[in-house]
Amino acid sequence: MPPINPADLIRDDRVHRAVYVDTGVFALEQERVFRTAWLYAGHESQVPAPGDYAKVMLGPDEVLLVRQADGSLAMLHNRCPHRGSCLVGEARGHLPRFRCPYHAWTFGLDGHLIGVPMSDGYAGELDLRDPALQLVRVARVESYRGFIFASHAATGPSLTEFLGSLASALDNMVDRAPAGTLTQAGGTLRMAYRGNWKLFMENATDLVHPSVVHESSVAAARGHREALDADPQTAQTLQMLLSNGLGMPQWAAVPLHADPHGHVYMGGFYKSGMIAPARTDPVFERYRDALVARHGEAGTTRILGVDRFNNLIWPNLSVNARFGVLRQVQPVSVNHTVVTSTCFRFDGAPSEMFDLTLQFLNTASSASSMVASDDLEIFERCQRGLEENGEHWIDIRRGRAGDSRAADGSVAAPGTSELPIRNQMQAWISHMQAGSSGKRD
Amino acid sequence: MNDTPLLLPCELDRALTRFVFEEARLLDERRFSEWLSLFANDGLYWVPSEPDQASPTDTLSLFCERKPLLAVRIERLAHPSHFSQVPATRTHHHVSGVLVERSTQPGIDFVVRASLIVAESRAGDQRWFAGRTTHHLRTNPAASPYPFEIALKRVDLINCDAPHRILAVPF
Repeated sequence: MPPINPADLIRDDRVHRAVYVDTGVFALEQERVFRTAWLYAGHESQVPAPGDYAKVMLGPDEVLLVRQADGSLAMLHNRCPHRGSCLVGEARGHLPRFRCPYHAWTFGLDGHLIGVPMSDGYAGELDLRDPALQLVRVARVESYRGFIFASHAATGPSLTEFLGSLASALDNMVDRAPAGTLTQAGGTLRMAYRGNWKLFMENATDLVHPSVVHESSVAAARGHREALDADPQTAQTLQMLLSNGLGMPQWAAVPLHADPHGHVYMGGFYKSGMIAPARTDPVFERYRDALVARHGEAGTTRILGVDRFNNLIWPNLSVNARFGVLRQVQPVSVNHTVVTSTCFRFDGAPSEMFDLTLQFLNTASSASSMVASDDLEIFERCQRGLEENGEHWIDIRRGRAGDSRAADGSVAAPGTSELPIRNQMQAWISHMQAGSSGKRD
Repeated sequence: MNDTPLLLPCELDRALTRFVFEEARLLDERRFSEWLSLFANDGLYWVPSEPDQASPTDTLSLFCERKPLLAVRIERLAHPSHFSQVPATRTHHHVSGVLVERSTQPGIDFVVRASLIVAESRAGDQRWFAGRTTHHLRTNPAASPYPFEIALKRVDLINCDAPHRILAVPF
């Protein structure tokens, strides 16, 4: 087979199906996208004390996020340099040092080799300081207001440069916590589909699909409006189902914003009660008072007024600041993807505020979701269709004439445009042509 | 020790056991409206996302729906544009090891625990789920054919924390 030339797979108006179904393309993008880009890798609150660790997937690699004795963070590959065994089996825990379960090589929290049993078997050849015998550290690890990102590439844009205007989505989530910090809580939801990872990211800001794909839940919800008067969680879910039934003019009125590096968000989303109505209940008033105590009246109005939805940090993170929710897309293989959702308590907020965060994810991100299950079905149908050796190209032209480019490189378009897909494809091709992190030889 | 004897009179035990068998059968026969009618008005259908999960209000859930949302789900299952049900899912519930107890919790008369295996088939794909069910039941003389209603149906899957593909039909 000839080597893949990514440039042959993307045109301004079309994408070749190989981008979604070719195993060679998938292997290449694991190297050139997931082993170079900044990826979300966890939250500081998962590892509060020295010795705390959490096992996370950083692209294709299983790594350990470890709180160091001095309070800093390290990210180490979960792999013993001796025979290659994974060191840690639990998803999270606390250890004074890492000890390989195979031959008991021991390593410090920073990954340095402490000791090797039977060291006389090496006849003096083994140097504990040999760089090849330390746990491999992820090249760059940075925390942005508690959100930890990591990159396998030693060089490239800084984290803040990479995040660009999407950093403000993370800012807004933290600002919504009256104490100024977030605590990850509530566990994790994982849903899987037999399709390429890009299908989820492309769909997340596609506003022509909801009234088509989600027609059955909209219709069923419209027949049960009495549920709006039930408990707050039930009402919230019904509101989310109903909101997918908006008409095209309303979707078009949602401004899309595309950033360099492939990021996208939808603005003006919660206006006129989309997804969730404005709250005036006593719990919310207590929450608002706590925010006013920290940020003042004007600051609070500004923070709560940020109404962006599905802030997509390319390649694989979706941020929802209002509900304190992250969704991360994990490619497993070219046609198998897992979407992992986690959420946060707003420190200093009434505990009831977290009820609606859980309900938001139960409604939006469970495999049983009356919304997401429709999307997953469509992703699987897309994958099956793309795997057929028929027409090779798919179309991404919708709304192209309406793209308006600003001086800072960002692009704006009406909600019904396919601008987000074009923007993600541009980031993809730029990574695919730039080469890998160079870490692996 | 509990003041209330755990063992129930034979007829009552049989009726409660039969109730959970019939409940599973309604799902297998896709008689979803009848299934829904077994729930109390404040009844909850709950599938935790973690083993031994204490509560649906501090941790995420695979399903956490009270009767009004179950009604939406059931109505949707019959909609021609419910694309993940085209073709429809077929299920087979295997319920066994049913243990019935009288409850001492307020508002609950009986607790019924059982083992559950569900085989699910759709478009040639077959999946298997295994776990335990816990029914919290109340006496409701107006209910027919069994004088009980479901305050809670909890399903603890052994792989509750695994990634799952679409779960459209209740367990």
